[in-house]
Amino acid sequence: MMHTDIGNGRLRLPAKIRQGEIITVHSIVTHPMDTGLFRDASGDPIPPFFIKEMRVDFAGVLVARFEWSTGISKDPVMSFPLKADREGTLLVTWTDNAGAVFRQSAAIAFDAA
Amino acid sequence: MATDGAKTRREFVQACGLAAGTLALSGAVPRALLAATEPEHPEIPNENVAKVYRECFGGRPITKGQLSLDMPLIAEDGRVVPVIIESALPMAEGEYVKTVRLIVDHNPDALLASFHLTPGMGRVELSTRIKMKRTTWVRAIAETSDGRLFADYAKVNVTLNGCG
Repeated sequence: MMHTDIGNGRLRLPAKIRQGEIITVHSIVTHPMDTGLFRDASGDPIPPFFIKEMRVDFAGVLVARFEWSTGISKDPVMSFPLKADREGTLLVTWTDNAGAVFRQSAAIAFDAA
Repeated sequence: MATDGAKTRREFVQACGLAAGTLALSGAVPRALLAATEPEHPEIPNENVAKVYRECFGGRPITKGQLSLDMPLIAEDGRVVPVIIESALPMAEGEYVKTVRLIVDHNPDALLASFHLTPGMGRVELSTRIKMKRTTWVRAIAETSDGRLFADYAKVNVTLNGCG
């Protein structure tokens, strides 16, 4: 298997966040996103294997839910806005069609200044 | 992606519109022909797309505008095609964009993604990378919390099939 770290999710946030600011969150997760339309070297079909949902929660509240097909590129990237109106944990959850669940979180905290 | 120095799709389309407008003023090109170069809504090309429209939009009217779909004019590698969707529609409690659907007309699975949003995002600004099988229209259709539908379209020329 080429992928040794399937489900490894990473989030990138601005270094400094002011209260009330709308920030952009960049995410990437390692996953083959196989369509089911390709065959391997020995001619056997490679079954569909893809992330079907990415969910974003902030401070315990659902912010966004993205339903994906196999048409999202391998190692999916997704950037989305978030209204940083309070401090809390940003939690991103990816679920694939094999039932595996991958999570990554980041703290949203305001500058003391 | 090599976009340095290249015009964005929007600039290109605007430039075309300007050129077309100049021609129209000079009376050189019939109005019907101009309309054909940039249709308000691309035709529904197949049953897959028709089915998505039936199931998701149920025959409700779709307005072009209030939403922008930015994609390259030419995608050299159909496995990785960048998509940016933006809108200035309100994202407030009680009035917000609740779903943006991304449809690729000639992909095996035409409904590529459904992005369900909430006011907690603050604005509509999504970007990702998608696979495209061949040259086709791509549709981004936003549905507001009160059920109105807004669309933007991009025709992308695909050089290398990204779907198999």
